[in-house]
Amino acid sequence: MKKHKKNRNVAIIGIGQTSLSSHKEDQNQVEMVQEAVINALQDAHLTIDDIDCIVHGNMELFEMQFAPDLWHSLGTGAYGKDEYRITTGGTTGMTLVCAADNLVASGLYDTVLAIGLEKLQEGNTTGGITNMADPLWFRNLQTGALTGTTAAEMISEFGEERAKRAAMKYRIMMDKHAVLNPRAHRRFGLEYEQAEDLMANSPQLVGELRLIHMCSQSDGACAMIFTSEKKAGKGTGKPPVWIRDHIQGHREETIPNLFGAVKPEMTHHYCARKLYERNGITDPVAYFDVFEMYDPSAWWAMDWLREFFLLKGDEHIKMLERGDFDLDGKIPINPSGGVIASNPIGATAMLRPAEAALQIRGDAGPHQIKKEVRHALASGFGGTFWTALMILEKDLNW
Amino acid sequence: MTEYFGATVADIFNTMPERFKPEEAKDVDIVIGYEATGEGGGKWTATIKHGTLKVEKVEELKGCKTTIHADAEIFVGVTLGKITAIDALTSQKLRVVGDARLLMTLLPKIFVPFTVTPRKKAVSARAILATVESRFRPEKAEGVTMNIGYDLTGENGGQWTLMIKDGRCTVREGFAEDLAVKLIMDADVYAGMMLGTIDGASAFTSGQVRIEGDMMAAAATTKFFHKYVDPNAAEAEELICLRVTNSIDQRFASGPVMGRWFAGLKEKKFMANKCPECGRTQIPPREICAICRVRVHEFVELGPKGTVTNFDIVYFASPDPLTGAVRDTPYTPIYVVLDGASEQDAFAFELKKEDIDRIKVGAKVRPVWADKPTGSFRDVLYFELDR
Repeated sequence: MKKHKKNRNVAIIGIGQTSLSSHKEDQNQVEMVQEAVINALQDAHLTIDDIDCIVHGNMELFEMQFAPDLWHSLGTGAYGKDEYRITTGGTTGMTLVCAADNLVASGLYDTVLAIGLEKLQEGNTTGGITNMADPLWFRNLQTGALTGTTAAEMISEFGEERAKRAAMKYRIMMDKHAVLNPRAHRRFGLEYEQAEDLMANSPQLVGELRLIHMCSQSDGACAMIFTSEKKAGKGTGKPPVWIRDHIQGHREETIPNLFGAVKPEMTHHYCARKLYERNGITDPVAYFDVFEMYDPSAWWAMDWLREFFLLKGDEHIKMLERGDFDLDGKIPINPSGGVIASNPIGATAMLRPAEAALQIRGDAGPHQIKKEVRHALASGFGGTFWTALMILEKDLNW
Repeated sequence: MTEYFGATVADIFNTMPERFKPEEAKDVDIVIGYEATGEGGGKWTATIKHGTLKVEKVEELKGCKTTIHADAEIFVGVTLGKITAIDALTSQKLRVVGDARLLMTLLPKIFVPFTVTPRKKAVSARAILATVESRFRPEKAEGVTMNIGYDLTGENGGQWTLMIKDGRCTVREGFAEDLAVKLIMDADVYAGMMLGTIDGASAFTSGQVRIEGDMMAAAATTKFFHKYVDPNAAEAEELICLRVTNSIDQRFASGPVMGRWFAGLKEKKFMANKCPECGRTQIPPREICAICRVRVHEFVELGPKGTVTNFDIVYFASPDPLTGAVRDTPYTPIYVVLDGASEQDAFAFELKKEDIDRIKVGAKVRPVWADKPTGSFRDVLYFELDR
């Protein structure tokens, strides 16, 4: 795979979020979009007149509303501007950021606004996701994004006790991060002492995937503003955060062939391997200061950490057990509380680079990492196991 | 009893019989136990049997198939939808012992949802008068010195004087000596006028309001004050959400390559196609091998027996997108590498329900076919353990 040839460097200069919650009945979709867009514009010290192009994304299937970009134009400010609508399932938010990066890097537009949103309360998410399976085959069986296969595999590889403890420790750690994030949807105030109880009593969804392990269904929106190197830092509000590189790994849509007697290389591993290789990063755990990972469940998160960091054996579980992923650990994972805490799907994957960029700027809020953040990794996940991965930098010096 | 969100726990159970839909519960035979802990809590059982319902307040939950436990506040909040049920379940604030699916499936079917009509709190004349000083606009009353009397009759009435002097307004009970004007009306009429539900001019014309003294001064006073805002107005405002259910009839073309798979099913055969480059056997067959990016022409028959590589025991009752019905759980998709298939290419199918307890990775399974296959996924009823 060739290196991305960037025509020019691209900076994130504005970040806006709404609060993330289970119900937003006090706002319709347009009003929710507008809140995030206004927040991003204010953050960047720009007005809508400064925006050359808008990239819009949500999962239309969930709300069952066609051409949402047209419906939302009052909130996005897109009237009379160029606009692209992007829908790639769980990765939508990250694909929006990748697209904005490409649009600015290409020189086609100087300043691009991306907006990702979802009002999951207005539809049926699991019903919607189940429709991603082939209509003629497997749709009769699929249960949205719920699966216990990873739990079963981890239990068989690391033993029941250690695997279950790892998943639950990860889950409680995420809640501890979410409690610090005033925008997070689910903030339970879980304690590590509750692990035993939750492991035994949280209702089972699929196999050992229990309710407590799974991400939420949330309403919310996120908007980000991107501009060229020449314009970044000139009259804008906050210091720019640089997008160094991004990669997206698609695969064929069939799920069952992930579960053969021999596994194909996971897209997470593939993307991480290629991205580090072309950027000369040999030790990702040492290089990155934070990783905002798209973690739909505690089991997947634990399994994928091994893939994303190109680790072997039980290294990822040892790191968790040592506290390396804590907020003050070696490589903090999801200071925001992650997808487990808040999951407005079209915005979810955008919240990963948005939160990573806030960490680099040092103004994430109560969940800011104490030590300096110079290099951040952010991931998106969606569909039948495909991945988007992005490197963000504080300094323009790579 | 303690109220949460405007209702007590007892309200929920007292209204159960009138909310019960007997025609939906004809085939139901279950005793459900409820325990609400903390202030305002208690224990109840609901015995539902062939379209009848008996609700009892009990000392102990006995003979229940499923029991539901929560703090009284959580209990009312979840019942009213003020607290998200799934969040309460996830955080263990709401516990279900037995079949948690009841919450999502049975209960919404056989009961009309419990609701409370928002009771808008009545605002008294006294409460409104207490805000007069803070609503005063000195810039509109520059140089004005005036005492205005209110003689409010009726149950909530009383006598007050609004004293405007030196850019300040004070309210005291009783009448001052030198009233410029006195307004006489029922206290509820006053409250209505201040809330905007009664038109002042009409009230005066119809004689509900009498004015003694300088009528022009009375008319001028309105501009000295900011409009009264009902503190409960926002609370009572109804947020309208509309419910819609979509039902869409769809047709999908299988195409000539995948079509071979369905044609094979008609003859009770699994027909995969084999990549000429990597040799993988694709199930269902596809035109191109996505990995090698070459056309795939050769068809091979696989199985019919196979080996289980992984499985999911599904307890969560999701909707079946093909029918819209809530799935009957637990059910178990198994991942199977059919005999003769390349080892990375599993395919998924449902396991016979009776075999769920005995399924293991590595188990041998065989398909059970429908009597008359028609060329669809329904041609295989399920896989069963091959013993």
